[in-house]
Amino acid sequence: MLLTAEEARRITDRVLGMVKADDAAVGVTSQMNSNLRFAANTLQTSGRIDTVSARVTVWIDRHRGTSATSDLSDASLRQMIDQAQELARLAPVDREYLPTLGPQHYEPTRRYVEETATLSLADRARAIDEALAASEKAKVISAGFHQAQATAGAEATKNGNFNYERSTIASLGMTARTPDGAGSGYFLRSHIDIRRVDTRLVYKEAIRRALESRGGRTIEASSYPVILEAQAVADLLSGFSLNFDARSAEEGRSAFSAPGGKTRIGDKVFDERISILSDPWREDLPGAQAAASGLPSQVVYLVRNGVLENLVYSRYWAERQKRDPTPGPVNRIIQASGKPATVQEMIQSADRALLVTRFWYIRSVAPRTATLTGLTRDGVWWIEKGKIAYPVRNLRFNQSMVQMLAPGNVEMVGTPERVGASEDQGSSAGLMPALKLRGFNFTSQSEAV
Amino acid sequence: MPRARRDFLKFATAGFGAVSALRFAPWILDAEAAQASAIDAIRNDLADAALAAARTLGATYADVRVIHLRTESVSTREQQVQNVARNQSAGFGVRVLVNGTWGFAASPQLTVDEARRTAEAAVNIAKANARFQRKRITLAPVEPAQTSWRGAFKKDPLEVPLDDKVQFLLKLNQAAMATKGVSFVDSSMRWMSEHKFLATSDGSRIEQQLVRGEPDFTVTAVDSATGDFQTRASYAGPQGMGYEYIESYPWETEARQAGEEAVMKLKAKSVDAGRYDLLLHPSHLWLTIHESVGHSTELDRALWWEANYAGTSFLKPEDAGKLKFGAPIVNFVADRTQPAGLATVGFDEEGVAAQRWYLVKNGIFVDWQTTRDLAAQVGRKASNGCLHAESWDSVPFPRMPNVSLEAGAGATSLEELATGIDRGILIMGDGSFSIDQQRYNFQFGGQTFWEIQKGKVAGMLRDVAYQSRTTDFWGACDGLGGPETYRLGGAFNDGKGEPTQLNAVSHGCPVARFRGINVLNTGVKA
Repeated sequence: MLLTAEEARRITDRVLGMVKADDAAVGVTSQMNSNLRFAANTLQTSGRIDTVSARVTVWIDRHRGTSATSDLSDASLRQMIDQAQELARLAPVDREYLPTLGPQHYEPTRRYVEETATLSLADRARAIDEALAASEKAKVISAGFHQAQATAGAEATKNGNFNYERSTIASLGMTARTPDGAGSGYFLRSHIDIRRVDTRLVYKEAIRRALESRGGRTIEASSYPVILEAQAVADLLSGFSLNFDARSAEEGRSAFSAPGGKTRIGDKVFDERISILSDPWREDLPGAQAAASGLPSQVVYLVRNGVLENLVYSRYWAERQKRDPTPGPVNRIIQASGKPATVQEMIQSADRALLVTRFWYIRSVAPRTATLTGLTRDGVWWIEKGKIAYPVRNLRFNQSMVQMLAPGNVEMVGTPERVGASEDQGSSAGLMPALKLRGFNFTSQSEAV
Repeated sequence: MPRARRDFLKFATAGFGAVSALRFAPWILDAEAAQASAIDAIRNDLADAALAAARTLGATYADVRVIHLRTESVSTREQQVQNVARNQSAGFGVRVLVNGTWGFAASPQLTVDEARRTAEAAVNIAKANARFQRKRITLAPVEPAQTSWRGAFKKDPLEVPLDDKVQFLLKLNQAAMATKGVSFVDSSMRWMSEHKFLATSDGSRIEQQLVRGEPDFTVTAVDSATGDFQTRASYAGPQGMGYEYIESYPWETEARQAGEEAVMKLKAKSVDAGRYDLLLHPSHLWLTIHESVGHSTELDRALWWEANYAGTSFLKPEDAGKLKFGAPIVNFVADRTQPAGLATVGFDEEGVAAQRWYLVKNGIFVDWQTTRDLAAQVGRKASNGCLHAESWDSVPFPRMPNVSLEAGAGATSLEELATGIDRGILIMGDGSFSIDQQRYNFQFGGQTFWEIQKGKVAGMLRDVAYQSRTTDFWGACDGLGGPETYRLGGAFNDGKGEPTQLNAVSHGCPVARFRGINVLNTGVKA
């Protein structure tokens, strides 16, 4: 069962009441996850997992210790506190210690929908049955994953702060494959409200892509103009926010570091139509009311109209650099200034380009230039003279994300859609636009389908 | 190459006087032991209640996992401790098979009443889905076992004083920072002690205790004049060992060497892209084995069970015994009994005893990794024991055993293999890694790259990655080091499945030589 605000406060009060250390931060989390996995057109595993946990970090004379437990009984909480205090007694001084936050005022964000937390097993089974029936009718073989998750918990400090939040997310991702293994299509959608996860859209798109991608032609690995659907952009850029860490940049080990111990703040790093921001109150992508530092979250522009406007300062690093800590990011939004384009308009405007629907197994190759490698997956098409000409086989890329978004390489930007990185399986999401780019560097061919 | 203990012990015992007298208060360990005892005392009753409830409600098979997991982590940078944490998690999971359909539920409340409720929840899930089931799940038989098993660790890391660990890491950092030009070092150690109990409706009752550890460090050198930076992470990987791992590897020597090499990388020659012969050290090659061999030989992937996430495999069910996977000298063994292996167990998560078997023999792909439901699916008489669950709240599903490349028969050394190379690169340590969803096309980086010219290891290179295709790559293997060069690498957190679960797995191999592999230059002008 999820903790109510009152239950969470009782636990954090109990822990803080037992703490003897000079300072402490306590957290308690409850979570419900219900999932159903299907593959080879049949049902596989399905489960419901209820978990609770408590954790505490204490400081004794600036010495720090942390402990956690999955048992919320008094005896276990007492043991957790004793253990953290014992660790603090043994640990060297925490040189990055800052007093925990006093009372904060949080502006609520709406991230919880009761219908997601109390999903009907029968409704879910029927929805997946519909997806399987559609797959059988289309003569494709499908695999997918449906999950609903609800989380409720609180953070509190010895200096008087208390923050209770709860959230939900539901998602369905599906891959359809033609029985001969020559075509494969994928589609994923998620929402805080399970009623807004469009099951029919997911299975129809996955099946369509499988059928239309069959028999892809092999093309040379080279630099091509590309149209990246929002899913592909989410796959590429879901981890990009790490590059905005101020400490890494100022220590000289980030894509936004500049020679001489400086950073690129104020530089025009991307095309002027690109803004990257965090907005806790976006209706389709509400973020947490507290940032990672515990501060109330606010709208934060990292890049505005192509210019690097902010890096992310933790409380410690901000104090040291005599800056304000950054109240975010708590979500990922990439949006265009000016009129956004649709994918169809991007296709119609292309003389020649590759349409990429998804990327896979993306890993860092060179952090200084934010260069990534990975592969296309589940549907790539060659576009010629404004029309989709034929499917092509998958390709591996090696591409700097900084150069990808640089002035001169971005031709068109789409309307941001709520979509999550496929490697996150629907458990996270961003608002990502489709992009039309002048060049994207493919380096080898893959026969995988 | 850091292999001997050399100076390690004298540093480890020198200590920092101010904290070396500090030890865990005995009551901390006593309290943890008391919790373990309480779980031990109730686990049979809890399992009885869950299994009986599942049977009464219509399950044809059920199993219960009661797991008590304790972890400890210490992280540092330069001469400061970033965090010390000690956590525990306990609970149980119930898996049931009703009308050929799985259901699973888990709870952290270790009571008999909760066991009944959780079993009922698992049955309800299975029944809700069973109406729409297309193909009923069946299980290959297994001989029930009532036994206990303990990993071969020597020194329980959770009983080693914290100050020993802090001293060790700070001393390691000091060694890494000794070279002029080193800017930062991050180091950490993570330990995991897992005590688990399995009860199945087939009659198995199995208790197991496992310990795993992952010490690690990364050194960074920044050239502030140019804005360039380079890193060098440890060549050592996680092991299924206790604290004896810390005492048997030359960490400090390697840290010093890593500092020197991080600085050297800033000035190293950028590689010319092209075809090279590669000499791959075990600290690097384990990851290529993991991705191209370990995952491609999972039967669930070949049956498209992983199509929506991790992917399928280029291997097809009918390929076993026929497909040429690599050169005739290439032999891969799956082994859940391997000493110090991260995936080494006594029994898997459905009571199948740990086994050792060939996946690739004399270059031919010969066998799969299976579980009881996978084995039944393809008409096999038994599972080879690959069911795994990350913790008590994880739905068990097929995961990789330790998969290792056998060493060559002779006493061939790294230097002897290099002798046969005219233009090549020696790669040490694991770096960037990526492979397609059917395990054909892969690309790997590394930590350090050394040019080989006319049989001799020359200077350092940078910006190196190689790209190949699994069967082409293993077909290009023409030299294996002897047993003296064999070493175990591995991953602590290998993700797969939906919801994603982590698996710890080891891969042993000797140094090995590959002919004519495509090398890329990954450098991009900033």
